[in-house]
Amino acid sequence: MMNSLVQAILLGGYYALVACGLAFMFQVMRIINLAHGSLAILSAYLVWEITDALALSPFISVLMILPIMAIIGLLLQRVILERATKGGELLPVLTTFGLAIVIDNLLFQQFGANTRSLSPYLGDLSWESYEIFGLWIGKLPVIVLITAIVVIGGLDLVLRFTPLGRQIRATAFDPDTAGLVGIDARKIAAISAAIAMMTVAISGTALGLRGTFDAYAGGPQLLFAFEATIIGGASSLWGVFLGGIILAIAQSIGALIHPQGFLLGGHFMFLIFLFARIYFNRDVFSLKHWFAKRNKGENAA
Amino acid sequence: MLSVSNLDVRYGQFRAVQGVSMEIAKGDIVSLIGANGAGKSTLLRAIAGALPIHSGRLLFKQQEITNTSSSRRVQQGLSLVPEGRRLFSDMTVEENLLLGSTVKRSGDWNIERIFSTFPNLVKRRHAETGNLSGGEQQATAIGRALMSNPDFLILDEVSLGLSPLVVDQVYDSMESLKDAGTTILLVEQDLERAMRFSKRTICMLEGRVVLDKLTSDTNKEEITQAYFGLHPSSKQEAS
Repeated sequence: MMNSLVQAILLGGYYALVACGLAFMFQVMRIINLAHGSLAILSAYLVWEITDALALSPFISVLMILPIMAIIGLLLQRVILERATKGGELLPVLTTFGLAIVIDNLLFQQFGANTRSLSPYLGDLSWESYEIFGLWIGKLPVIVLITAIVVIGGLDLVLRFTPLGRQIRATAFDPDTAGLVGIDARKIAAISAAIAMMTVAISGTALGLRGTFDAYAGGPQLLFAFEATIIGGASSLWGVFLGGIILAIAQSIGALIHPQGFLLGGHFMFLIFLFARIYFNRDVFSLKHWFAKRNKGENAA
Repeated sequence: MLSVSNLDVRYGQFRAVQGVSMEIAKGDIVSLIGANGAGKSTLLRAIAGALPIHSGRLLFKQQEITNTSSSRRVQQGLSLVPEGRRLFSDMTVEENLLLGSTVKRSGDWNIERIFSTFPNLVKRRHAETGNLSGGEQQATAIGRALMSNPDFLILDEVSLGLSPLVVDQVYDSMESLKDAGTTILLVEQDLERAMRFSKRTICMLEGRVVLDKLTSDTNKEEITQAYFGLHPSSKQEAS
């Protein structure tokens, strides 16, 4: 029990990593990028290609594809999303859905149906573990979890304390007024897309390191990212982090109940949160709400 | 400084601003007067770039800005304080002000000078603007626009929703702008205050300019007549 909880938290780190890019794009540009998972797989293939061709460590290759994915993000925004958003809220969803299909099939055509993994390039690290209180904890999942914390924490710090972060928040809050203040909303959107794609590159690599992937593995990644985002609430990146962990724990509990309950457990948790979010005031989900209530109670007493 | 010629702004089929022309020179203080729905805010928003222009031309400092983005216009020195303040309410006063300096134009305005111009903001520096009083919000909105060091400041309904005392404060602080030679175009519902503050008065009615005179050449009665469409020139247009 304890073991599966710990493993679930580690898996949750991966989910948080995939989800943060999706949530970030939704927060800033109000776009649900359905090509998110496919782009993660694309970057996993890119890392695999570079690692294989240049005989590098995957950790070095991922640094090399970060700028590539950033440029892809920039182009994605300028060429596709910017035009699509002009056509209403539904159009970006349809466009990115189409893009996902295109990417999946191009990958299939290029790389075939074989599953691939980055773990062979890691050497011993892929199975090395720490032993803590009788639990075996894989080093790699720990690295992924720490990466998730660093990425989300870094994004959070950038958003909070840098001029760029302020401009991103202002654009997300009210793009018209942001323009009147002198913020170039187009530039900010392009930068945000580039940032989101860099997190996608990292999450795709994490997927390849933890397990295997093939051309059509994008769908499940998108699903996990989406579920984690909804559970955690799209408004805060730390919420998404928590959402990823809750999702993974629900999946593990599902798997304990029934061997095939892994995905079902996650879906069930997702639906609970979805309906809770629809029917309750969104305040209920914020820590502030509960603390404020407690303070009021104390005042009354 | 600003030249508007034959400007048309539409919401779908509805022509909110029709064939408006005006010239505003450097150092002018112009108040724009008109009933609700006369097209004042629409005109100001179109000048600031928040609304697309259907036809006509807009020149700012001899440069065509008819189709440039609002952020580009801020960069050129044209800044709008929007109606209803439109602050980023989940950010602090300081963050809102800093956002105003996104375009790095040189000038005298910096965050400390804003705080000395609007002393009521000093103690709210790190408060979220959503929790401020109307006067403090308005001061923040004006401060945010000033942070871009504009040559031309447009103020839309600065006194809306503020108590008379606070309105006095806001206008007092704007006197210093006047002295600094900033060109100002403002919408003000209080006719007497508008006439006291501005050098020139423009009155709009149903999307058209019906009166455009130096404040010293006109009087309250004439403006009131134009406001309600009783002005001789507008009668001719109507017939």
